[in-house]
Amino acid sequence: MLKFIVRRIAWTIPVILLVILMTFLMMRLIKGNPFQRTERPVTESTQRALERKYHLDQPWYIQYAYYVEGVFTADLGLSLQFPDRTVNDIIKDTFPVSLRLGGFAMLFAIVFGVPLGIIAALKQNTIADYSAMAVVNAGYALPNFLVATLLIYFFAVKWRHHTPFPTNGWTGPASWVLPTLALGHAPMTQLARIVRGSMLETLQQDYIRTAKAKGLRWRRVVGLHVLRNSLIPAVTAAGPLLGYLIAGSFIVETIFGIPGIGRYFINSVSSRDYSVTMGITVLLSIIIITANLVVDILYGFLDPRTRDVRT
Amino acid sequence: MLKRFLWAGLVAVLSVAVVGTSAATTGKGDASKARAQVLRIAIGSEPPSLDPGLATDTTSANIIYNIMEPLVKLGPLPKLRPIPTAAASWRVRGANVTINLRRNVRWSNGKPVTAQDYVWSWLRTISPELGADYAYQFFGIKGAEAYNSCKSNCGALRAKVGVKAAGRYTLRVQLTSPQPWFVQQLSHHSFLPVHRATVEKYGNKWTEPANIVTDGPFKLAAWRHDASLTLVKNTKWRNAKSVRLNRIEHSIIVDGGTAANAFQAGNVDVNSNTLPAADVPKWRKTGLLKIYKALGTYYYGFNVKNITDVNQRRAMAFAIDRYQITKYITQTGQVPAKGFTPPGITGGPTIVKHAFLPARAQRAKARAFMAKVRNPKKAIKLYMNNAPNHVKIATAVQAFWKELGLDVTLRVIEWKQYLQFLGPPPPSDVDVYRLGWIYDFPDAYNGLVLWTCDSGNNNTNWCNKKFDGLLDKATKTSSDARRTLIYQQAEDLISSPKGQLPIMPIYWYTFQALVKNYVKGFFINVQDNWDYTKVSMR
Repeated sequence: MLKFIVRRIAWTIPVILLVILMTFLMMRLIKGNPFQRTERPVTESTQRALERKYHLDQPWYIQYAYYVEGVFTADLGLSLQFPDRTVNDIIKDTFPVSLRLGGFAMLFAIVFGVPLGIIAALKQNTIADYSAMAVVNAGYALPNFLVATLLIYFFAVKWRHHTPFPTNGWTGPASWVLPTLALGHAPMTQLARIVRGSMLETLQQDYIRTAKAKGLRWRRVVGLHVLRNSLIPAVTAAGPLLGYLIAGSFIVETIFGIPGIGRYFINSVSSRDYSVTMGITVLLSIIIITANLVVDILYGFLDPRTRDVRT
Repeated sequence: MLKRFLWAGLVAVLSVAVVGTSAATTGKGDASKARAQVLRIAIGSEPPSLDPGLATDTTSANIIYNIMEPLVKLGPLPKLRPIPTAAASWRVRGANVTINLRRNVRWSNGKPVTAQDYVWSWLRTISPELGADYAYQFFGIKGAEAYNSCKSNCGALRAKVGVKAAGRYTLRVQLTSPQPWFVQQLSHHSFLPVHRATVEKYGNKWTEPANIVTDGPFKLAAWRHDASLTLVKNTKWRNAKSVRLNRIEHSIIVDGGTAANAFQAGNVDVNSNTLPAADVPKWRKTGLLKIYKALGTYYYGFNVKNITDVNQRRAMAFAIDRYQITKYITQTGQVPAKGFTPPGITGGPTIVKHAFLPARAQRAKARAFMAKVRNPKKAIKLYMNNAPNHVKIATAVQAFWKELGLDVTLRVIEWKQYLQFLGPPPPSDVDVYRLGWIYDFPDAYNGLVLWTCDSGNNNTNWCNKKFDGLLDKATKTSSDARRTLIYQQAEDLISSPKGQLPIMPIYWYTFQALVKNYVKGFFINVQDNWDYTKVSMR
């Protein structure tokens, strides 16, 4: 197992180098002057001075080398758009917020999605199944910006005198609830559907029939045999889902005015803030790689067969 | 095992919700906040920089203005005369300006603000090392441009820049020409001084609340990046007695709809963010939407190499219904523009006296102009950057021009690429393009100079030596009345019946804000700046 983990971690280095190279080249391919913010033209001398400051006057491979050095010494450079802040500052300020929001949403998705899926599968084709699936399908169909807007309209504006939720911000527990619901409802429905599907499949397996036949209590059959084997697809989905929740919360962060990193990911591209775009891309690729690694390790626990093959 | 885990998770989520409920209910009570003279305002972005030398946007400028004290502030419309603030008085003799500083302006560390502070700060902004966008604001000062663009021998060029301290409280400035607007221009944030020792000690971290040293009516108390920024009254400011507000809490809310929600729910007292277009009629009815005059013009430029006949340009300008555009699309009190120079500028109404662009479309005249065109360009490509209102306006214009028999194709480009794409010179593919201009200082020169031959903003290919000569003459004419007449002649060359119409102004900008009734004295001036020393809560 340890050997497997070490090998996987070693592999992340070339992957990250490739991510940097691709982002770097793509950013340079989009035209646009990072230093011209308004209609006012930038004077030649200012342009020259700024290009020197950010090494943009060097050939691309030197710039790339500078950048790679920065990544491996954990110094991601100065923001082009926010001249007083480094990319490290921006990540330090905004990433914990996004991580927390993503974490809450994930927790919400697991806590509500998994039981919903289990109930629906165990009570297949009953009213419980239909109502659970109605909720799940409706939730799946609603985009998060709509859910966010509706939540704000009802809970923070219309019924504001009866609810504690603010319209925006990330200032305390009351401000965490609505964004968590808005971001977490989609993965919640996704998990519920996956769990339901794989439970139904497992329930028809021979070993379940055997377990029942040998007189095991039904609760024990479900708890020990069905659940454990049905959760593998859910865990597979959970890894990328976590990455999506942290990186993809841009819309929810914007609508709720949350000071997270998603906003920077989008804005830095439109303002050609090369160093911020690169910094966040590298950070997110590390997260997604790590999430996938964790998933692979979890497999080992859920399914001993994969553990044997890989160690 | 798993079940237990699930239960634990469920309990955790529920308890978070419950704790949240109790925490938030304790934080209410608007009336007490009013009594405490606390203003809560939504701003549309994280201020990119609180360094007066580096800030280029109005969000940053509005914070900087209230924590620092400019030499002068602009007085009320229509004259916009400079009012002495950190400067006690000034004397202008041709191209030489002497400024006497007040002796009771102090940095927040207790040290006096001296002429040397200004000299050092201005040279810092001009210096090539800082790479300040607004270095060009100083190019009217002798030697500034040469120093800014120096490649070698920079030290000697620095010493030659025409700004010197003559004594502790006297600042001498030598301009390249008389530039009568210079004193008004000093109200711009790029002319604010910075505290040398602080800047040298903390580098690019000097604007953080723990480090910053300022000299204005308010102090930066807290700055949670991307979330909030708090100012508190500076009780040691020279005129602190006149200041009513004790604290200003800025919420950084990027999305216009979110900011409007926060205002509606009473979480902020003022919302300075742009309203979503669909919400404007609703807010107009409440009477809480305030509209302020701005110095700025929204215009379409013609590529005169493609649309060569002035009569075609006239026809196109007369076919547009500016009234409908401002009433139904922009909706917030914008004024249909009959010429380029906005009326708020000193002498503005005189300058555009002969300008003849109609507010309502004049279709018969437009067709008459078109009939005179021998070889009209029928297929028009109209370029704009990607923002909903620009596209809506262009769609309306497309319909107006269709009536002239023109076939208009809209081309939308993302902002940064658009700026680079337009040139100057513009690509030959561009027939008409959209841009806007917000004035840096309240003199018609700042706008009209865009249309000189060498201007970096002249994307029209239009070049008129007479026009250039007039603007050059204006820089040497001190009398406001005479200068106004020179600008009138220049404006005539663009937008009067005998003008060449290289551009087609559409409307003059306004600024807007949602302001609760209990906020008194909140006002956005023509340069999009507001002054918290005039605000109080009732």
